[in-house]
This record gives sequence, C-alpha cells and structure tokens, in this order.
Amino acid sequence: MMFQLFLIAFSAYAIARSLKQYSRKQVSKYWVVVWSVLWVIVIGVALMPQATDRIAAFAGVGRGADLLVYLAVTFLLYAVLRLMVRQQKMSEEITALVRTIAVDHPKHHDRS
Amino acid sequence: MKIVAVIPAYNKGKALTESAIADAAGFVDAVVMIDDGSTDDTSSIPSTDRVIVLRHILNRGQGAALQTGADFALHHLGADVIVHFDADGQMRGDEILMMTKPIVDGDADVVLGSRFLGAPAKDMPMIRKVLVRLGTLFTVALSGIRVTDTHNGFRALSRHAASSMRITIDRMAHASEILDLVKTKRLRYVERPVTISYSAETLQKGQSTIKALMTIKDILKKKVVG
Repeated sequence: MMFQLFLIAFSAYAIARSLKQYSRKQVSKYWVVVWSVLWVIVIGVALMPQATDRIAAFAGVGRGADLLVYLAVTFLLYAVLRLMVRQQKMSEEITALVRTIAVDHPKHHDRS
Repeated sequence: MKIVAVIPAYNKGKALTESAIADAAGFVDAVVMIDDGSTDDTSSIPSTDRVIVLRHILNRGQGAALQTGADFALHHLGADVIVHFDADGQMRGDEILMMTKPIVDGDADVVLGSRFLGAPAKDMPMIRKVLVRLGTLFTVALSGIRVTDTHNGFRALSRHAASSMRITIDRMAHASEILDLVKTKRLRYVERPVTISYSAETLQKGQSTIKALMTIKDILKKKVVG
C-alpha cells in the first residue's frame, strides 16, 4: 500500500512539474503529452496492479510485474542508445565549431 | 611538393612541444601546430614564419586536432603531403623524408610508421609493448587491414588521401579509423620502420596505458553508434 501511494504521489509530482515546465516554455507540447501519458499509466498500474496480470497473460508473460520489468528494461536500453547517439552528434557539432574557430583564427605571427 | 607537418599538442609543455616542432620544421615546408585546448604553457607557443599555431578553445582530442591541422594544411597552405608528427619528442624529424618518399615518388597514398619493422623500439615498457600488439590484433580483426603497428602516430598522407578521408573519432581511436578509411577509400599504403624513443618525460607526457584501454571503448562505440 505504501509503495502504491509513493508511486501515485511521485507520478503526480512528475506531471505537475512537466506542466510547470511547459507553462514556462521550457519543454514542448509533445514532450509534456508523452511524459504525462507515461505517468498516468504508472498511476493506473499503481491503482489496479491486477490489470497488468491480464495484459501480461494476453502478451504471453507469466505475471504483470514481469511484463513491467521487461518493458522497463527495453525502454531504458532504447533510451540509452538514443542518448548516446544524441550525445555523439552534439560532440561532433562542438568539434566542428571548435575547428572552425581554430582554422579561421590562426595565432598571430609574433614578429618581436 | 609542399610537405606540411601537423603536430597536435595537449598539455605537452612548451619546451617539449617547441623541441618537437623545431625537429620537424627542419624537414618540411611548414608546420601546423594545433594546441588542443592546453591549460599549461603549451598554449603560449607563438606562430612564426613557418610554424602556424591553431588553437582549439576546448580540448577535443588528438583525432580532432589532426583533422583541424589537415583542413588548414589542405585549404590554406596547399599542402601536397601531410605528415602526422607527435609533440612529445618521441619521433625523429630526420625520418620525415623517408616517410614521405613513397608519396613523392607516386608509389603510395599513405605511409604508416611502424615500431616493429626496424630495430626494436628503445626503452619501450613491456606493458606498452603487449598493449600495442593486442591493439594491433584488435584493429586488424576489425578493419581487416594488415599492418604491424596500428597505433603509431607517425604517418604521411598524400593530398589525395588527406582530402578523401575525414577523421570523425576525436580521441585516440582515430588511429583505427584512419586504417578503416585507408581500406574503404582503397588508398595505396606502405609501412616504413620508424624510431620511437621512450624516456621518462615522454612516457609521462605521452598516452597512458589506461588511455590505451579507453581507446578500445571508443572504437567499439564508433562501430555501434556510428
């Protein structure tokens, strides 16, 4: 029961925070919708954990909890890969910028 | 033929770097030194008549610095041959002519220095020797190119080779990427024996054994993420 309450409270906090960020124009509408839907699902699972068992049975997985772990691991791995790709792209952009500055501004010839 | 040495330096120290620049400068038409965001006195080295100093405002790694040097040498100096030379005093300037000869003669597009073709490398620590051999096996297995020393920084590239290859791995794993590019771009390559001297100072300023292991991680990351 305690864990369910914690999950609901945390999810509500996450949704409230993303809405606040949206109102400050720090995140896009797309991001706030995706993020909110994700946390609403978490609240739904916290309120009706037995529902995941039915979905798990439909998906051919033993228990609802197992299904959630599989989904979470898959999602996290995908997210890590996407972050790595994005970080790599950003790193390449920084290098290109640093290179352009270096090539366009060679150190002045010291004739003294 | 205009021969330009490209020398990347990151916190190698002014004295060591200037000594390497002076050594190379005697055998090339111009030197491009890339200060790769150094925070020590390396950053105070000035440009001179034949030495152009470029500065990376952030440290981006040796691979990035070599590509910056190549861009400048090709587009601003009209280089016909580019020589990769280290700033840590381990290489010998008087071997530059021997390294560039196959390109000048039209026999190769890329000349790769090797520590394992001539006399044994002097004072090379055993752990380094083992790591270099393992690195060579690893790179040969991945790139499919047969060379004896995959992570030797002493290279010469023709204008055609330098123009057709673009180093995208910023840090030490660029050496493997260069070999990949030699293969994929179907460049003609030869190896030449070079002398690499190891002293306490150059070992301290040079690539650490830990960094050598990190290089493997970068190669794998490039293969996975692209």
